[in-house]
Amino acid sequence: MAILDELMQLPGAMAAFEFRGSGELLEHRIAYPDRINPATLDLLAHMCSANMSIAAMQTRGWEQMTAMRGFYPVQEFTLIGFDWSVVVSALRRERHKEAGKSNLPPFTGLVLANESADYEAAFALLERQELTA
Amino acid sequence: MSILTDLLAQPGVVAAGEYAYRGDRFSYRGTLSEEHARMASIMCRATTMGANMEGAMFNSIHPGNGLHPPRGWLVRGPVHTICVMANAFCLLDHTRGSVNDVVGFMRQNLGEVPHELI
Repeated sequence: MAILDELMQLPGAMAAFEFRGSGELLEHRIAYPDRINPATLDLLAHMCSANMSIAAMQTRGWEQMTAMRGFYPVQEFTLIGFDWSVVVSALRRERHKEAGKSNLPPFTGLVLANESADYEAAFALLERQELTA
Repeated sequence: MSILTDLLAQPGVVAAGEYAYRGDRFSYRGTLSEEHARMASIMCRATTMGANMEGAMFNSIHPGNGLHPPRGWLVRGPVHTICVMANAFCLLDHTRGSVNDVVGFMRQNLGEVPHELI
């Protein structure tokens, strides 16, 4: 997957991965196999899938209850950990939903070292690939 | 100035709030009604508690990872990003402000808040 290789070029990139909406890990790239392995990413993918669903529910409800706009659909969920962050994008899935497609593509995720993380660059790359996919 | 006043002064931030981890208090600044600020505080607190639970479980299975304990989280929509660090949150119009700058500001001011109360 070209996008995973591109994500790995971002500053601080430690791993890039794709996973199903139900959380199972599909493709992955790992820069530091002594610190991250596929089992780590699989559990992380399940966590991110759950958090993405919660965020979608909350932002959808928030917009309906407050009349504020621009929160939904969720494009990325980011967990900022102690030393690492994980950024997960759902935008490609949202494009497929808008097009009426029922067979949705996977989520795309990226693990970054906090000290060199550029969240804006990660969002830009994820959103660019989601639009061109 | 309080952290909320400072947060609200960041470019693009339309509202900011903080909540007690035990859930009995909240405060806010910006373009929110009190009821909506209360709802935002509850949602942010619930997600923060969930993220900490997940981080602890993750750390017990994969010790030594760099995610635990979580410092915060972001939810990015088409126009707004919800930024949460420790027990503070803000709603950022990311077309008018930088997520990197707001996260950097929050990490600088909230990154060392102890997690014992979670």
